[in-house]
Amino acid sequence: MAAVLAAGFIAVDRAATPAAPAVDTAGFNASVKPIVSGTCEQCHNASIKSGDLNLVPYLDPATVASDRATWELIASKVESGEMPPSGVARPPQEKMTALVKYLRGEFARADAAVKPDPGRVTAKRLNRNEYTNTIRDLLAVDFRADKNFPTDDSGYGFDNIADILTVSPVLMEKYLEAAETISARALGADPLPKKPLEQTCDLSTKTLRRLDYSTVEASQRIDYDGDYNILFKFPGERGADAKPVTMGFYMDGQLLKSMQVETKPSNLVAFNPQSNGEMTVFLPEGDHVFRAAFLNDDFVAQFTSDRDAYSDKKNKWIGAITFVGPYPTKVERASRKKILICDPATGDACVQKIVSQFAHRAYRRPVTPAEVASLMKFVAMAKSQGQTTEQGIQLAIEATLVSPEFLFRIERDPNPTDPEKVHRISDVELATRLSYFLWSSMPDDELLSVAEAGKLHDPAVLSAQVDRMMKDPKAEAFADNFAGQWLEVRNLDFITPDAKTFPQWNAELKEEFRTETRLFFQYVLTENRPITDFINGRYTFLNEGLAKFYGISGVKGPDFRKVDLTTDERGGVLSQGSVLAVSSYPNRTSPTIRGKYILSNILGTPPPPPPPDVPPLDVSKVGTDVSLRQQLEAHRANPVCASCHAKMDVLGFGLENYNGIGKWRTTDGKFPIDVGGTMPDGASFHTAAEMRSVLLADMPQFAHCLTEKLMTYALGRGMEAYDARAMDDIDKALAADNYKFQTLIHQVVTSLPFQSRRGELVSNKQSTGEKPKEIAQR
Amino acid sequence: MIKGKAPAMVQRSALKRRTFLRGIGTAAIGLPFLDAMSPAFAASTAPAAPVRMAFFYVPNGMIMDAWDLNYEGKFQELPRTLKAMEPFKDDMIQIGNLTHNTGRALLDGAGDHGRCSGSYLTGVQVKKSLVDIKSSVSFDQIVAGEIGGKTRFPSLELGMEDARQAGDCDSGYSCAYTNNLAWKSDTQPLPPTLNPRALFERLFGTGQPMTPEQRERQAMTRRSILDFVMDDTHKLESNLGPTDRRKLDEYLSSIREVETQIQAAEKDTRQVDPGMDKPYGIPADFGDHFKLMSDMIAIAFQSDLTRVVTFLMTREGSLRPYHELGIPDGHHPLTHHRNQPELMEKVRRINEYHVQQFAGFVKKMKESKEGDRSLLDNSMIVYGAGLSDGNAHLHEDLPTLMVGRGGNYFKPGRRILARRETPMCNLFLTMMDRMGVNVDHFGDSTGRLNCLDLG
Repeated sequence: MAAVLAAGFIAVDRAATPAAPAVDTAGFNASVKPIVSGTCEQCHNASIKSGDLNLVPYLDPATVASDRATWELIASKVESGEMPPSGVARPPQEKMTALVKYLRGEFARADAAVKPDPGRVTAKRLNRNEYTNTIRDLLAVDFRADKNFPTDDSGYGFDNIADILTVSPVLMEKYLEAAETISARALGADPLPKKPLEQTCDLSTKTLRRLDYSTVEASQRIDYDGDYNILFKFPGERGADAKPVTMGFYMDGQLLKSMQVETKPSNLVAFNPQSNGEMTVFLPEGDHVFRAAFLNDDFVAQFTSDRDAYSDKKNKWIGAITFVGPYPTKVERASRKKILICDPATGDACVQKIVSQFAHRAYRRPVTPAEVASLMKFVAMAKSQGQTTEQGIQLAIEATLVSPEFLFRIERDPNPTDPEKVHRISDVELATRLSYFLWSSMPDDELLSVAEAGKLHDPAVLSAQVDRMMKDPKAEAFADNFAGQWLEVRNLDFITPDAKTFPQWNAELKEEFRTETRLFFQYVLTENRPITDFINGRYTFLNEGLAKFYGISGVKGPDFRKVDLTTDERGGVLSQGSVLAVSSYPNRTSPTIRGKYILSNILGTPPPPPPPDVPPLDVSKVGTDVSLRQQLEAHRANPVCASCHAKMDVLGFGLENYNGIGKWRTTDGKFPIDVGGTMPDGASFHTAAEMRSVLLADMPQFAHCLTEKLMTYALGRGMEAYDARAMDDIDKALAADNYKFQTLIHQVVTSLPFQSRRGELVSNKQSTGEKPKEIAQR
Repeated sequence: MIKGKAPAMVQRSALKRRTFLRGIGTAAIGLPFLDAMSPAFAASTAPAAPVRMAFFYVPNGMIMDAWDLNYEGKFQELPRTLKAMEPFKDDMIQIGNLTHNTGRALLDGAGDHGRCSGSYLTGVQVKKSLVDIKSSVSFDQIVAGEIGGKTRFPSLELGMEDARQAGDCDSGYSCAYTNNLAWKSDTQPLPPTLNPRALFERLFGTGQPMTPEQRERQAMTRRSILDFVMDDTHKLESNLGPTDRRKLDEYLSSIREVETQIQAAEKDTRQVDPGMDKPYGIPADFGDHFKLMSDMIAIAFQSDLTRVVTFLMTREGSLRPYHELGIPDGHHPLTHHRNQPELMEKVRRINEYHVQQFAGFVKKMKESKEGDRSLLDNSMIVYGAGLSDGNAHLHEDLPTLMVGRGGNYFKPGRRILARRETPMCNLFLTMMDRMGVNVDHFGDSTGRLNCLDLG
């Protein structure tokens, strides 16, 4: 709904819509006007403007056509029973139903009269994830754009929205530097230092951080791609009968290698007991976070104080990590193979082939001879400066990586300024849309060649490609980027739960949360499960650590696997630690935030913002003097607050059995948890599981919410009023196929907005009040 | 403060000064021309050091009882929040009653955080929109555009808190308004650099010194690559719709800026020795992070790598807890304290903590000598917030501290109280004058803020 509301601001496209049929004024006066003027207006008037909405102008029937977004909002609020709020006299139900029926009828009539409009997507620069993945697939170089480029702004909850992705001078500088580094690294042209360097991270200099008794972390920059010897120091020793532990060594959350570490006394005479370990790994250039952890180390559970845990007679821990390197890596660089498809020493024909092939892949389309010629100038330039052919190729690659054709996804219009001219995008453009949708990266050779052969728009071919792509490991990017933002799991990196309140919170649990949700999402996708699983899947993905945290027995070892849920405690994403943690305050749960989360991300009806002087809760007393619930209930005694909070808080309280990091609980402080609630439409529940059933009963609403989020992400633009029809069609097809997730993906890909675009209306709106206001009130 | 009346300051702008210099011949450059310009400093023998300006922005307003003073004129005891500034009492002016009217709702409804941040340096009421962003060029960028060519970097935009990545920002306002302070154009915000290493490498290079030949070759390569992509872009642009073209125009203007930088670096071939180790990554501790960033600001000012800095310490709506102070609650939720003493106390401590960090930077600026003055004397460092009372979202009497003398020009050591509802933009006009950029009107300005003056 947020997207539809915002549509009113996008003035440029408005006039493209042909005149809608005249509004049924008599029907309006009979079904709508009496309720608006008799009931709604008492709060939604010019002076109170509850929810930031003044309904006085909406007594004019013409607004049903001219401001559809507002009327859509009104219809949905009345339909869900949220409006009028309790405390306000309610017109009889049949009158309310008639109002909704009239509005829906008018919307349908208007839609039927409107020519289908695919809208258009603005030229879109690659965001940081897309840049990283594209470099990986284009050159087999591990370059972390998120560590090098400024943060991308996001809109509608996603960071791939074309209109808001801008290029600043700082970013341009970074593009230039990145192109230099990446092209050098790809050809292995960055010389390694003559002697390996040594850098030590240890606890005494605070370059190594303790995350818990078993885990340490270090931020370390690696300056060169290469092999490194990693030396570990393990101070202390455990008892003579202590078992060895497995130590995992991770880079940026990915396990690089693990090794066994003996923990019993070594029998070597030493002033302070200590042992060492060593492994060799390949490390790519960049800023990395390294983590070393004794996995499933039950031994430390006995320690209650740092003093004992770091006593070298009682325990053994990881005390220092030393990086020694770089050493030339033995394997030939995959990146060189990708570029040097023939031997440049054989002559210009080969060099031309190399440059042309590279540009072809980088621009994600066939290149013209003129384009190749202008890149070949760099080879000539290098040679004229006495550099080698390979250095010339490196320069041509560098130039390609800064070209707008690489950095932007640009779609051509035959009639760029005629909004009436709708056309299918080309097969090659479709391939690019598809690969950035499902992989957040460039098309692979197969997809691009199918497109260039002109076959991709064939429904059977397209469908087969989508099936293939969903199964490809690269679709993990879809889980990370779509689900990561839809479910706000990315915010795991920004939350800082209070260590005193939540002693179980640590970096490992955070990664386990993230992994659980990602694997769950990928399973629903690849197994073509119905999207109802998101609400109440009877399974999840756990390793031993997370299973213990959830209180589920029988899961052993660090690897994640699918686990069937046998009790009602958990089910679906709303009971996963990731979602529960990101929707809490650092030191307590917030039913309001969680309720807002469900309204925004599950039901697709985000609440309007609170008034500015909204009083927050008195946190200090929660759990001791009064329960959080009593406090919140007092808080919404005011009917203006109640209108939104009635639904928001009820949903949020439904999740109160999970604490601020998602652990199951039955009391909060000294108060028992009371989960039960009644929704504005009368549906009630007593447990979290029953609340999930209430949400399931409103499947069409969740399906529509997910459709809207997916379309926004797939297109990289907000949904406009003219997209309603395409979304309705998707909703219908999805419901008809039992809400299978893959069906939804296929429907999005075959929808009109995904397959077509039109010209842009050029308006002179700029000069007529679109300027920011400069109002001086004096 | 009456518009149209030519304040004395205008005539003393750098532009006029250049004209003056040309009149008496270049041989006079080394002479203490300030003597002629400003009789009050007749004894000074300082060479013409440039004036620098910086903004340090803190979000979510402040607890004003610990910030404000109940008197005007010479500082006596400093308020609690400013205690750490005690050693610099004589180098600063606390300015009361500056207002950002464009931060107010003015019929646009909720979203005071998004709005106050968006209007802070731009002086316009930003468009309430999630993606169709519209603000205006910020005044620091007007200055950078005018005088930026004299330094290697026209301006630096820095920050310490990463942009929010998921969820919404403030009541229908795009996150672009809260993630950025500086705006290059009405649609192009300038994202702050957060990573100390990235800032270090940008200012001082990667740490591996290049030979003059290597540098020359790099500059030449970069230039030919930029020529190539400019050419590409022009070809592309001819057949695009207006919005697509606007996107490529942003790209083009950024390329031109980088070209200018390359030229500036070719003229100014100094390799600045920062006298500090290259930092790695982002420290978790607020104070450590702040120190790295602000040390580099001081060095950049000192070595004249730039004269304009904006620093978004954290952003509006920041949920950052202050574990450094044992405060586990997020900053923004705390500021909606409903006058509860414990919550207000936590906010005061955060306000205080921010100022303590800032004081460390001021110390460094003051210890840095420039002729017989300090670097601080030649600077205008504004420490300020876009809201006063964060609980009630008030846009008047914004906390504003001017530190430095703007080139021995301001008369510090006191609190001044402007007339109520004096536009913040008036301060910007005055600062622009000091930076040598003459503008008659900016945002909702009504004139200049003369009361900072030595008088």
